[in-house]
Amino acid sequence: MTNVWRAGLQRGRIELRHLLRSPKEMSGHLTNVVVALVIAVYVTGDVPGTHVPTAHLVLAGFAAYLLFQIGLVNLPQILVTEREEGTLLRLRATPGGIPAYLVAKSMLVVVMAAGTLALLLAVAALLVDGPLPHGPGGWLTLLWVTTLGLLAVVPLGAAVGAVLPNPREALALIMLPTMALLFTSGTVFPSTSLPVPVQQVAAVFPLKWMAQGLRSALLPDTARTAEAAGSWELPMVALVLTAWAVLGFLLAVPLLRRAARRESGSRLSARHRKAAQSGALPA
Amino acid sequence: MTPKAAKATKDTKATYAEPVVSARDVTMTYGDVDVLQGVDLDIHRGEIFALLGPNGAGKTTTVEILEGFRRRSAGEVSVLGADPERGDDAWRARIGLVLQSWRDHRRWRVAELLTHFATYYPDPRDPAELLALVGLTAQGGRQVERLSGGQRRRLDVALGIVGRPELLFLDEPTTGFDPEARREFHVLVERLAREEGVTVLLTTHDLAEAERLADRIAMLVGGRIRACGTPAELARQAAARAEVRWTADDGTIHRERTADPSQLVWELHRHADGPIAGLEVRRPTLEDTYLHMLHRETDGTDGTGGIDETNGTDGTDDTARAA
Repeated sequence: MTNVWRAGLQRGRIELRHLLRSPKEMSGHLTNVVVALVIAVYVTGDVPGTHVPTAHLVLAGFAAYLLFQIGLVNLPQILVTEREEGTLLRLRATPGGIPAYLVAKSMLVVVMAAGTLALLLAVAALLVDGPLPHGPGGWLTLLWVTTLGLLAVVPLGAAVGAVLPNPREALALIMLPTMALLFTSGTVFPSTSLPVPVQQVAAVFPLKWMAQGLRSALLPDTARTAEAAGSWELPMVALVLTAWAVLGFLLAVPLLRRAARRESGSRLSARHRKAAQSGALPA
Repeated sequence: MTPKAAKATKDTKATYAEPVVSARDVTMTYGDVDVLQGVDLDIHRGEIFALLGPNGAGKTTTVEILEGFRRRSAGEVSVLGADPERGDDAWRARIGLVLQSWRDHRRWRVAELLTHFATYYPDPRDPAELLALVGLTAQGGRQVERLSGGQRRRLDVALGIVGRPELLFLDEPTTGFDPEARREFHVLVERLAREEGVTVLLTTHDLAEAERLADRIAMLVGGRIRACGTPAELARQAAARAEVRWTADDGTIHRERTADPSQLVWELHRHADGPIAGLEVRRPTLEDTYLHMLHRETDGTDGTGGIDETNGTDGTDDTARAA
């Protein structure tokens, strides 16, 4: 068991180094941060009924969205790609390989999430007078909302990654619902301007609650008057996110197990043939 | 105990020691298609065993059942003393796998990847020594995706043996190799088997490779093992006759098939004034045997004379020259 942790952490460190040295992937993550900052610069005025700049609301919303994206877009893509390349199969054929893989991926996701969040908040605070938590209470809220938010989306993302067919179709299948949630969850503008049924549907998913939780951590308490409920509803944030975390784990464990079990040399070859036929993979 | 008796005991022990791989009446059914219809296999320690067969014969299914990646429909299987369907991590650590379609870990550096995979095993090989063994020392710092096809496959072999497996599966390992790379690879596999006692199960389409490397060969056709034995035994089983070729005085080329080539050559010489031009004796090759088996399978006939049909295709290997 100690071996699994050692191998997993080593694997996580190496993957992280590869990520940091990959211009393509790094620019993907950095673009998100830049987009958030640019929007924050162009958004003017205050949140209606408060003295909080709308830019702060947008930045808090983007922070939530970036966490959401790492769990439900980046992670499934990594899983599907590595399944297709045979990484999963090699680890399955290696003693302790699959547990080490999960340790490495968890480490990677946590570091990616924390790094992105820290970068966004720090750069925003420095350049565009962005929001930072007020006092220890605010920092504490930031910590638990981020942790619970990741627990809500990461297992779910792993489950999605286990069932998606291949990296080419995966992106299309994930991005559409993600974008829909981005615009209906009150992340980039107050959801109160949307029709009530749309708000109700968005409230089922974790993004709305992650954004609301982060707003409570980053914005002054007076800003809660602009919330749909007139308060931060923190107990509800904790409840919904916990529910998604439980659901995600319940789905991810059997689905990942099934995905790993189904891997074999001939399935890998069959996928490569298919990919080569569609011209998507270098031979 | 006399030395002779001691030897006999040793032989008996070697013969009856538990095989590394043992399969009895293994069947596999997908829907209403019987892919395997009762496969029996025994592979012994230190043996290089080749599994031959046309596409769709069930080679891959057989190997994946032995690797523990597929559930058989029925039959008994034991690999290193365990049922592969219930193989745990300790069992996995004793098995090495080299598949043909791995493209994983592209961004990793060669030495980094090997060092990482060494951490999973209780008694791994030294990564640097392993790189030297597969001839990749110069590529140690290179990214995996920048390796050539042959280098990539050699890295796969290195990853397959980093945990000192007792049993190594090689799935069409030299597809796409140039002749030199193929030769080096064969030397490596032989070293593993002869010097370290690794048991190797090789699947291949390359008959020359099977003949060169394998101690024993099994031919899987239509979901059954149709023939199994040393390359020489297989050739004999096909009841094929040797072919004698020579050029007559008038310049015409003669070919004759005979069960006793020595007799024929002797008679030729008795009737000749001197050396016989272009004299050649060709023993039945593994390819003859293989095609003969396939032919018999598709024909449904016993086809003892069927070897003649393969005549035109065996121009490449194993030509025994006389005179």
